[in-house]
Formats: sequence, structure tokens, C-alpha cells
Amino acid sequence: MSKALGLFGGVLLLAATWCSAAQSLSESEVERRAEFNYKMFCRGCHSPDGSGRNSVPVMKNYVGHFLKSQAGRDYLVQVPGSANAALDNEQLAQVLNWIMINIGGASLPKNFVPYSAEEVGRLRQNPLFEVVEHRQRLVVKIEAQLKKDNNK
Amino acid sequence: MSLFDKFFERSARKVSQKGSRRGFIRGLGATLVGAGAIPLLPVARAADGQQAKLPQDADAGDPAACDYWRYCAVDGFLCECCGGSYNSCPPGTEMSPITWIGTCRNPVDGRNYVISYNDCCGTTQCGSCLCQRDQGDRPLYRSDKSNDVNWCLGATSSVYHCSTAIVVGLAFDQPQ
Repeated sequence: MSKALGLFGGVLLLAATWCSAAQSLSESEVERRAEFNYKMFCRGCHSPDGSGRNSVPVMKNYVGHFLKSQAGRDYLVQVPGSANAALDNEQLAQVLNWIMINIGGASLPKNFVPYSAEEVGRLRQNPLFEVVEHRQRLVVKIEAQLKKDNNK
Repeated sequence: MSLFDKFFERSARKVSQKGSRRGFIRGLGATLVGAGAIPLLPVARAADGQQAKLPQDADAGDPAACDYWRYCAVDGFLCECCGGSYNSCPPGTEMSPITWIGTCRNPVDGRNYVISYNDCCGTTQCGSCLCQRDQGDRPLYRSDKSNDVNWCLGATSSVYHCSTAIVVGLAFDQPQ
């Protein structure tokens, strides 16, 4: 019993620390801010539901596949639209997590680990140069894996 | 008689025996009405999707005037004066699927709203109601926040006609 209480206390403490790090925003406020940031920094090109158009890649029900490799996970932060967005690391991590959950759909891995501000900050320091080619290489791998999964 | 003649004779006889003139007129009428109704169907209105909390109850001003609150960052001709409206394109033009997005403050309720400035494209410049307010407009190096970009580049035709200002939700105001 006391162990359970201790664990509960620990979780509360963690939650409290996390909340204070998020400038005292509640969970629903963090989500609303992330959705607002999607509208302000992503939606203009990626479209309201992430389905993209013409040369804008589809994120809807697809973007979560990138999380299945480390290079893919890194790419989603390093891609110029993310890395150069006028958002601090914490808000960029939150908008990426919002995209994964709300737009990634069925592509989101079951063991999805949310991006942290620290991870995002570190990756932003390593910009991509050949973005299109880099993405193409990642997509080839994703498609090969999907084909393999479908044949199982 | 050639095979062709036989075929058409048979078809013509079949039509005259089975069909009636009134039936033909009825069919033609139904087709015309049906075709007329197609533009009313909710298709190709991608930019209208997901409109959250339209501030219609707390709206004031003239959408054909440049000082209307939604136009705080417009740089172009108002679609309202060009046969469209502040959130729809004039007939014969296409709404660009890519756009820039900013916020404007609604003076009635004092809240900030997210505005999508989708351009209408495909025919030459409208020329009416030129409006240049540029609030929040950023230099071209912040291209997603610049209204000097020709956003019709995302449409089938890159010819700019006029600008809309579509409310897509409430802005998030950081608690003080």
C-alpha cells in the first residue's frame, strides 16, 4: 500500500514538474496551443487535415511511419518546416506530438514515444541540406517495410 | 443494304416503338435540372472544411470595405468585390490550396482569430477594392508569413485574381 502511495506521489510530482516546465499550462491548454501552432505554421501548406497537395507530401495517416526508424524520427524535426519554425523547442515538440496523434492516424506506432523539448533542440542543431533526396530515401525504406508487413 | 444501314434502321425503329416524345422531353428535362444542381453539391470546397467557431454572432463591419476586421493582413483585391465573398472565390476561379495564415482581432468580442488568406486564381487581376493592410506581414525570408508571395503558385493556374480571408479558428492567447 505504502509502495503504491509512493508511486502515486512520484507520478504527481512528475506531472507537477512537467506542468511547471510548460509555463503552467494545463494539458488541454497545451493541446489547444499545439493545434493553434499547427494552424499558424503548418496548415497553410500541409492543408487542414494534413492530406497535402501537389508537391506538398501527405501527412494524413502516413507521417507516423517515419517514427519507425531513428533516421525518420530525426527527419521530422530536421525538415526545414519544423527546424526553422518560429517556435521554441518545447512548442515545436508539442506541435509535432499533436500532428502524430491527430494526423498520423493508423500510421502512428503503438509504442509511440512523444518528442521532448531536449530531443527537438538537439536535432535542430543539425540541419538537413539535401532534404528532398533524404526524404525520398526514407520513403523508399518505409514503403519496402509496408510491403513486407502486408505480405505477412 | 449495308450492315451500317441495317443497324441504324433497327435502332431507329426500336427507339420509335419503345420510346415516346414526352419520355424524351422528360429525360432531357431531368438531365438539365440534374446538371444544374451539380454545382450546388458540397464538392471542391476544401478550404471551407474544418471551420471552427465562426464568429458570425459577434461580427461587425462591411466585408466589402478594406477596414473590415478580417482583412488585417490582406494585400490584394477583395473577393467580396469581385463576385465572390470574404470566404469564397468568384465563379471561374480556383482557390489556392496553399496559403499563408495570420491572426486578426475581432473588435466586437476582442478576441483574436486565425485567418487563412487563400488567394483565388485562374483569371486576371480583379482590379476592384484594392486593400493593403499588411499587419503581421513578414519579409520574404519568412515565406510562410509573407503576403508578397504569389500563393497562386499552389493552384492549377498561377494567375492571381483576388484574396479571401477565412476564419479557421480561435487564436491561442497565452495566459498572463
